[in-house]
Amino acid sequence: MMVIQSSRLRTFLRYAIPFALIPALVAVSALVFEGQRYLIISLGIAVLALLLFTAGVERRNIGSRRMVITAIMTALAVFGRFIPLFKPITAICVLTAIYLGAEAGFLCGSLSVLISNIYFGQGPWTPFQMLGFGLIGLIAGYLSRPLMRSGLWLSLYGIVAGVGYSFIMDIWTVLWYAGRFDPALYGTSIVSALPFTLLYTISNVIFLLLLRRPIGNKLRRIKIKYGV
Amino acid sequence: MKGFERLNPLSAALYYLCVLGLSMFSMNPLMLVISLFCAVLTCIADGTVKARGHLFALILFIVAAVLNPLIVHKGATVLFYLNDRPFTMEAAVYGVTAAVMLTAALYWLRSLSRVFTADKVMYLFGRISPKLALLISMTLRYVGLFKYRFRRIRDAQRALGLYDDGNLIDAVRGNARVLSILITWTLENGIVTAESMEGRGYGSGRRTSYAPYRLHGTDAVFMLLTALLTAIAVAGTAHSSAVFYPELNFDLLNPWGIAGTAAFSLLSLLPLILNAKEAIRWRILSSKV
Repeated sequence: MMVIQSSRLRTFLRYAIPFALIPALVAVSALVFEGQRYLIISLGIAVLALLLFTAGVERRNIGSRRMVITAIMTALAVFGRFIPLFKPITAICVLTAIYLGAEAGFLCGSLSVLISNIYFGQGPWTPFQMLGFGLIGLIAGYLSRPLMRSGLWLSLYGIVAGVGYSFIMDIWTVLWYAGRFDPALYGTSIVSALPFTLLYTISNVIFLLLLRRPIGNKLRRIKIKYGV
Repeated sequence: MKGFERLNPLSAALYYLCVLGLSMFSMNPLMLVISLFCAVLTCIADGTVKARGHLFALILFIVAAVLNPLIVHKGATVLFYLNDRPFTMEAAVYGVTAAVMLTAALYWLRSLSRVFTADKVMYLFGRISPKLALLISMTLRYVGLFKYRFRRIRDAQRALGLYDDGNLIDAVRGNARVLSILITWTLENGIVTAESMEGRGYGSGRRTSYAPYRLHGTDAVFMLLTALLTAIAVAGTAHSSAVFYPELNFDLLNPWGIAGTAAFSLLSLLPLILNAKEAIRWRILSSKV
């Protein structure tokens, strides 16, 4: 839905980020910091990737209906983050992506993290979380056909998303703590995060299966009735 | 105590960027201790962190400090052996330093979360992308609306006798029904909102937004001061070094290092100074009345 309005800036970002800015950042990290500042570099890359996705996901202008529906689904995901222990945020992002498209899924994932972190505490982890949930939504949008058809694929996606997200966030934990990537610390942090990963994955699957019919039906109805 | 919070969000964003950046990336033990001290002081002064928050920070500190020497066995000075694994002084010192860094960042982020209210986040994003700002503001609106409508639907269901908190299954069923109604209602309502937006000419021109923030003289002075102090502190960090492995080798107290640390201390104290200035001014003004 064309988040960045100026088309020239959008085109610039779409080409400059993957082909110039990220390589430049990596080169700077290798040459200037001698590979010592992984944290600052990875933070920069996460922010750039977020910019790239907001700039380049979709090229046409979709209009206000889909925007309002995306805002509602994002608010629902934020609302769901207040539930203790079991969080339906992934499920809601995935369902949004399946029915409203990859871009809506990306925005729903990344914005729900940004907004709920206003309540839960912003931090240097925010860009990583935004990227993680945004990608979960984006990929679900691209896989919408099999995911819409069968609950099996949907639960499989929930498991992959849960485990993948935790593993990626553990890389970030290690980088923050040690200042560089340490396999031993990574192993420890994966093991210590295991209960959370498990809880997270289980709640993904439960909520995906639970919400699949009701929310899916509602979104499909809105789509058919109003042609969103 | 409103001096710092009343600054333009741009100044506050620059400030937190500098303080957090320096605290997280310098790994200079002296500066980190100062950072932690000032961050805790700032959070206590405006009552951001309650007793539970301090307890959580303390636990995080202890865990982070102990974890490193237990896992990392680098370092030349072996203190003792634990399960045939060396426990080195260097790893212990690094662990404590990292723990100070983590805790300081935690406290600064608490302070940031308190200062950056939803409208300030909106203000910052609205400059980059009006559409994203609109999306964020609509989402924030719907979060509040969900809470309000949830209550209304639940009350209506109760009045109909359809909602029972008595046993667990009924409660879950009732909540699920309320949620389902809530989503249908809000989606349908959202379409009306979209129609109404288009009816009023949304998308036909540039969108402007109202924000009650302007760049005052105070902001300019504050931003310049922040930038200057950060520059000195960065120069100080560049000229001093803290090597942990294989042997501790700190070079922090050369002239540049001292200047950088002094600049960083002043930077960390800026919110407190600003708030104290406002408090003093308030007392003077009220004593005149």
